[in-house]
Amino acid sequence: MEGAGGGGSGGGSGVSYQRFPRVRIREMKDEYMKFELRDTDASMANALRRVMLSEVPTIAIDLVEIEVNSSVLNDEFIAHRLGLIPLCSERAMEMRFSRDCDACDGDGECPYCSIEFQLNVRCDSDQTLDVTSADLHCHDHRFLPVDVAQRALAAEAAGGYDAPEQRGIIIVKLRRGQELRLRAIARKGIGKDHAKWSPGATVTFMYEPEIHINEELMETLTHNEKLSWIESSPTKVFDLDPKTDQVIVADPEAYTYDEEVIKKAEAIGKPGLVEIYAREDSFIFTVESTGAIPAYQMVMNAIEVLKQKLDAVRLSDDIQDNDDQFGDLTRNIQGAAL
Amino acid sequence: MDPQPEPVSYICGDCGGENTLKPGDVIQCRECGYRILYKKRTRRIVQYEAR
Repeated sequence: MEGAGGGGSGGGSGVSYQRFPRVRIREMKDEYMKFELRDTDASMANALRRVMLSEVPTIAIDLVEIEVNSSVLNDEFIAHRLGLIPLCSERAMEMRFSRDCDACDGDGECPYCSIEFQLNVRCDSDQTLDVTSADLHCHDHRFLPVDVAQRALAAEAAGGYDAPEQRGIIIVKLRRGQELRLRAIARKGIGKDHAKWSPGATVTFMYEPEIHINEELMETLTHNEKLSWIESSPTKVFDLDPKTDQVIVADPEAYTYDEEVIKKAEAIGKPGLVEIYAREDSFIFTVESTGAIPAYQMVMNAIEVLKQKLDAVRLSDDIQDNDDQFGDLTRNIQGAAL
Repeated sequence: MDPQPEPVSYICGDCGGENTLKPGDVIQCRECGYRILYKKRTRRIVQYEAR
């Protein structure tokens, strides 16, 4: 996380606001991650959240060339559905944006900026045929649709059999005689351009709550009063210790800042029974990935993107035009006293 | 634009027979005289943005 704090060495006599944020990972799976971010402020946490959602690049189908389509869905409808299929995008960071690529003419085969997919399905039986993401064929197996890649792993584990819930994402259904033949080109992009490129399903952070129970005041409550006070919280934040009959904080992070317990304390006639603060330098992040890139990679890529953006600001301070635009920001980052 | 416009083929809404029409032709099926004709899908590749 170093570097994201900004350079504090410039400016000489100025006060440096540089901080060294810490990250502690609580839970990490391919598609889900929970971590704490400490010693920084909300602007940094929110920047990280927003970059994860809309500026971490992934790969998605962007151009569709339809040759034959006799299905019930129209061409535009199918093109849109293809675009929304998440593709494995581990290589997206090193790829080029199609608009910055000078090695190709922008449509089709290019090793730096695009990946070609073929889909060629015809229904010849009396049963309805599902066309799924598994029918999308690509010569490069690093860019499979997310669920197809997962299925390959699951099939390996189950000894070559597909689980019924892993038959791919349905694109369209065909009846006898209907056919769909197309070529699709996938490109690198970011969520800001179109949500299909967003690697995040949900990214949230909450302020860590700091809960102080006034023990002295709490002891003036009867057993039943304590119970009803505990019950007043819509989430299970507090509990009663069965041995000592004391109110304890069971799960501070279950608190949703609803202030129900504070209102309840006032209703009982004991204001100040509990004090709850939101810690303004500690955040708990929950990251859910679409599967295009693992949640961990999403966080790392977001930090990388954020660093590149800060570098752009820092490098621009000798250019007059950019100084007009970013002047104040640059001065703040470098900690120069105004 | 084209000096000689290509005849386009249509499908009759009643008998399903194929008809080729040129600009200026009467819109009517040659087989059954039905006046509703459907244009066929292009054989060319069509390109769409997946957005």
